[in-house]
Amino acid sequence: MEQLRHLWLILIRELRILWKNPIYGFCMVLFPIVVILFFTTMLSQGMPEQLPIGIVDADNTSTTRALSHRLDAFQSTQVVERYATVSEARHAIQQGKIYGFLYFPKGTTEELLSSRQPKISYFYSLSSKLSGSLTMKDLKVISTLGSAAVGQATLRARGATDAQIQAMLQPIVVDLHMIANPWSNYNVFLSTVFVPGIIMLFISLITAYSIGTELKFGRSKEWIAIARGNMLVALLGKFLPHAIIWLALFLGYEYYIYGVCHLPHEGGAWAIILLGLMSVFSSMGFGIFAFGLLPSLRMSMSVCSLWAVLSLSMAGSAFPVMAMDGPLQSLSWLFPLRHYFMVYQITVFNGFPLLESWFHFAALAAFMLLPWLVVGKIKNAMLNYVYIP
Amino acid sequence: MSIFHNIADAISDAAFIWRQEMRQVLRDEGVLIFFVIVPLIYPLLYSWIYNNEVVRNVPVVVVDDNNSSLSRQFTRMADASADVKVLCHAADIDEAKSLVSRQLAKGIYYIPSDFDSNIYGMRQATISVYCDMSLMLTYQAIYQTAVSVTQTMGAGIQVSRTRPVTKRESEISVQPLTVSEVPLFNPAGGYGSSVLLAVLMLILQQTLLLGIGLSAGTARENNRYHELIPIDSHYQGIFRIIGGKFLCYFMIFAVMGAYLTLAVPSFFSFPHLARWQDLLPLMLPYVLACIFFGMIVSCVVRYRENIMLLMVFFSVPLLFLSGISWPVESIPPFWQSISWLFPSTFGIRGYVRLASMGATLNDIRTEYYALWIQTLVYFVITCIVYRHQIIRSRRHAIDRLDRIGKKLEVVNQIRRRKSKQNT
Repeated sequence: MEQLRHLWLILIRELRILWKNPIYGFCMVLFPIVVILFFTTMLSQGMPEQLPIGIVDADNTSTTRALSHRLDAFQSTQVVERYATVSEARHAIQQGKIYGFLYFPKGTTEELLSSRQPKISYFYSLSSKLSGSLTMKDLKVISTLGSAAVGQATLRARGATDAQIQAMLQPIVVDLHMIANPWSNYNVFLSTVFVPGIIMLFISLITAYSIGTELKFGRSKEWIAIARGNMLVALLGKFLPHAIIWLALFLGYEYYIYGVCHLPHEGGAWAIILLGLMSVFSSMGFGIFAFGLLPSLRMSMSVCSLWAVLSLSMAGSAFPVMAMDGPLQSLSWLFPLRHYFMVYQITVFNGFPLLESWFHFAALAAFMLLPWLVVGKIKNAMLNYVYIP
Repeated sequence: MSIFHNIADAISDAAFIWRQEMRQVLRDEGVLIFFVIVPLIYPLLYSWIYNNEVVRNVPVVVVDDNNSSLSRQFTRMADASADVKVLCHAADIDEAKSLVSRQLAKGIYYIPSDFDSNIYGMRQATISVYCDMSLMLTYQAIYQTAVSVTQTMGAGIQVSRTRPVTKRESEISVQPLTVSEVPLFNPAGGYGSSVLLAVLMLILQQTLLLGIGLSAGTARENNRYHELIPIDSHYQGIFRIIGGKFLCYFMIFAVMGAYLTLAVPSFFSFPHLARWQDLLPLMLPYVLACIFFGMIVSCVVRYRENIMLLMVFFSVPLLFLSGISWPVESIPPFWQSISWLFPSTFGIRGYVRLASMGATLNDIRTEYYALWIQTLVYFVITCIVYRHQIIRSRRHAIDRLDRIGKKLEVVNQIRRRKSKQNT
């Protein structure tokens, strides 16, 4: 009972600190909300549209013009300019004006009519991977279509039916099922990992900051004294208000992207809420652990920020972990965000049973328990260390 | 005479501040981490992460309901491709799905039972591909492999179906127009080659901003009155202070910039087509703009940790705003205009084009001019905020002097009164 009263005192004290220092307001409310809005508005299109491309038409006949007109009707690209030569168009790519171009050499139509199998080419740059591959896809489709259109005319002249023509031109088709994200919407790939990544980064940073500033502003002894030296009471009282704010933020974010933006969530509400809880507490655990490991404000914050920024790559949501070198694959286990991503994609995104992600759940739980290892060290630091700027 | 004297004075003051600042950087482990250790180590780590560039051997499960020589040929060819590896055959879709849910496979190839009879019956045959969409790159690998394998098989089937006079005629009849695909830059489509160059430039800016901010924070905290600019005979003019600090940061980041843009890409053989004649003119305004921007930001922070919270928050959005992972054309205008505030936006765009597309300075002149404009504007703002800081610290000093003076006066009055009483 006595301990509950101490806990209450620390809790009140912490609320006062949160209220007084504007940094908390910025990092716990304002910045995360800006990040959420940034990613969701930035990627609201889902896929980039109307990427600029060019045409180099050295042949300039009605056949080639018809093909370039068709290209204009595509969704992800848009013909913005015609160039006289290939080198001019290539230069335009280097200047960042276009992402690729289609090239008809002189005599294309003539050779086509006389069955001499002319060759057309498309050029693109993969310097930026997404725009490059989207451009490539459209250019590929249009050139295959062009080829098919001619073949279709020849076959029809020989008296083939439509079904036969289809089977002749494309004997095997691929029937693609993109499970859970049939639009290959980029918002799904990015907002579900980078936003939590940044929120988790803030959680661990602010957790370390909150303990570190006790030392910095010379309040550390007072903190431990109110708890009567009981570290469990001290930490619980301190981080209960934090946890409530973080949970509200994280669950609010999840509600926003799944409930309002309708990003795919096969797993349903319970998986989402569970994942939110695990993410918040594991990041807080990591923050406390980082401070316990290096009980200085600046070192623990540096560790947290460097670790968290690295975790955005190590989560393997953009470049898969399985394509990384072996040692990195094992290292990826040390990043809470990696486990978040695995649990997310197994249980929330694909809706597979929770059991399939037990390992990553266990890992997140382990991050929550990490502070246990360093409680003694933190107490020692609070009572005996002096802050040196 | 007096002008020359003044100039000599200013230079020696600037040099003094330069030395002071350098000493502070070396003494402060927090600053040292961000000025030296992070720019040295982080790029190596990122390069290591992205070094494999592409995803190879993505595991897939095959459900072969057809089990004919043609369906087996498909499986063999898919397995032989670089991107996909056939993990195993599953009896049905449910079994395959359970393998995907256990993260053992990333996709399923389903070959229906009428696969070969359709082909022999001159009807269109299908192969169904089910992809786990949680990873873009594995999805692309699985889908594109299926497409290219079916196309190769299809071409063979097409040729075998026609009964022409010559083989050439049959080729032309099925494909009257050939298409050649020419990837111009980053031809392998490596993920690292497209992202890493941008990351390198961003690391340069972020570490610079963090380092400057931290060192300003330390200077304030070490100062008795929490002023950024100490009251000292050397700290007397705006240009001396800015010049001295600037020289210190520039000295460090000239080296780091060269390391990040020249050494790191060549260690890991990421594209480095930039010629020094083009790279140097780009990097100069980039580093200048970053330094002045950092000096402005550093005036805002009161405690050294705050800058860390601020910068870490910016890192990821800035990478997106550079237009490397998400095309510039699709960035909403509001965020685009915000992105123009940061040197990294133009620095990344310019550098990526130089290094990975072999562009020349003339091709990136928009970015080049933008960086010089930023440098100028940020320099002027730096002067203004530093002037403000100097005035403030002087005013505070004068206030303190006044207070001491008043106290002295009071003491003197009391003394005088006492002496009067005595007489």
